[in-house]
Amino acid sequence: MSIPMELYLPIAGNSVNIVAVFGLGGVVGLLSGIFGVGGGFLMTPLLIMMGIPPTVAAATDSNQIVGASTSGTLAHLRLGNVDVKMGLLLLIGGVLGGTVGVQVIKLLRALGNADFLINITYVLMLGLVGGYMFLESLQAMRKAKAPVKKEPEKHVKSSAFGRMVGMLPWQMDFTRSGVRMSPVLPLLLGGLVGLLSAIMGVGGGFIMVPVMVYLLRMPMHVVVGTSLFQILFTCINVTVMQASTNHTVDFVLALILLIGSSLGAQIGAIVGKKLGGEQLKILLASLVLIMMFKILYELLARPDVLLAYIGGH
Amino acid sequence: MKRFIILAALLLLALPAAAQAATAATGAGALDFSMTPQDITIHTFYNGTTVQVAGEAPAGSQVVVRFAGAPEAVAMKQKGKALGFLWMNLNTLHFSGVPRVFLVESSAPLSGLGAAGASLGLSGLTETISVAPATADRAMLVPELLKLKRKEGLYREHSGGVALAAPAGGVQKFSVSLAVPSRLSPGAYTVEVIAVKDGAVAARAARPLEARLVGIPAFLSNLAFNNAVWYGVLASVIAIIAGLGIGLVFQSKGAH
Repeated sequence: MSIPMELYLPIAGNSVNIVAVFGLGGVVGLLSGIFGVGGGFLMTPLLIMMGIPPTVAAATDSNQIVGASTSGTLAHLRLGNVDVKMGLLLLIGGVLGGTVGVQVIKLLRALGNADFLINITYVLMLGLVGGYMFLESLQAMRKAKAPVKKEPEKHVKSSAFGRMVGMLPWQMDFTRSGVRMSPVLPLLLGGLVGLLSAIMGVGGGFIMVPVMVYLLRMPMHVVVGTSLFQILFTCINVTVMQASTNHTVDFVLALILLIGSSLGAQIGAIVGKKLGGEQLKILLASLVLIMMFKILYELLARPDVLLAYIGGH
Repeated sequence: MKRFIILAALLLLALPAAAQAATAATGAGALDFSMTPQDITIHTFYNGTTVQVAGEAPAGSQVVVRFAGAPEAVAMKQKGKALGFLWMNLNTLHFSGVPRVFLVESSAPLSGLGAAGASLGLSGLTETISVAPATADRAMLVPELLKLKRKEGLYREHSGGVALAAPAGGVQKFSVSLAVPSRLSPGAYTVEVIAVKDGAVAARAARPLEARLVGIPAFLSNLAFNNAVWYGVLASVIAIIAGLGIGLVFQSKGAH
């Protein structure tokens, strides 16, 4: 008698290999711990490849992210990397934006061709964000390598954006992030990300991280921790909603995945700490670009089967 | 000795009754079969199973055995080209008459069994599935659906799996092991045996088979469908606890 390695999942309606699922969780958790992203873009397609229906894969992934981001947030809290005040503001904005986004997507679907718009938005957003981050961090790394003494980055920021931000009311300090700004800004930006991620049907880590780095000007390490903190709450919301309305959360699958990914996230947080901010940025930028090319490829290549199940990402 | 006689008598009485219970009432006379197991239990470690089907068919016929789920309606998105070069999900299609599972085993290739034979397999299924809206390209879409189901391991057509014994007394024995996929939802299924002779159906018989969840899968499924909100909250809470637990383990081990 060998130990059974296959487990039947009643919600997914299929059996999976425990070791394979555990390993998948570990790899995705590692990325999540390093970069502060949910990892849904990687997890969902791999689960579908394992024979999990797309709708169940997407919803179960959110359940898994709840556990992984709890573990990741805890690790980053310990390292002093979470700006709770900023995170909460972004979260409130995100929830409001997400609610609006759900209505927007309903309207788009009614008008027809919503999927087309979603995919184009996806490719453009990822291409822009990934490309900009990549070039910017490459430049920064080159500068750092050059023997020329680095001029302090006290740049006279008189851009229109900077002036506008300075004019917003209730300026306050965000000590963890070391920035001073009006709470209106994170609320608005959180709302924007919430809106986009509801339309695109993703967690939004990939948009939130660059927004925190470039628009809120937070240090990269704090960005990662704060992003995970925020993702935790978003995914609790999604899990409960999906479970109650669509019955697509497979808890057993999520539990195996999350044990793997929580372990991965812990290791990820340590690895992330060892890497410099610029290295982190350039790695994340590469990941974003890879994801963009994958979606672009799917748009251009003839699919194997000309039918798709409704739901999922 | 006396005891033995009583026991033997009881056995003799009981055996035909049991045999009768285990074989299908066909009415067609010569076709009869039994199967084990009679029902499929989906337990925690369920990973597909095998259903053994054996019986007698009219002599000189070829035997087709089918395992099928009840026909369902399925909504899907059709992928097509937008702007002439971008592949994406376009219009919604509604298929009806799509069995959840459709496995066909036969003693000889269906294509060699005449008109009746061909209609028993996947190509026959193509005829019975309908697509809405009516404007949809049925000739292209239904085969695509079958292709998807085949890739998922839910549809299969295979010949040579049914073993036939030499005919004796107007009948011939047959047997087959049907491999049932792991991707099985609970519900009603049918095992059907069809004897084909000279390009026509000579006899057919069917038995119902139920797949049901037991143990942990049954408990979880009940919770997820009947107490959905609690299930969602519970799933989140346990995920948080697990995340915290692992985080704490790491703190005690990894802290400097």
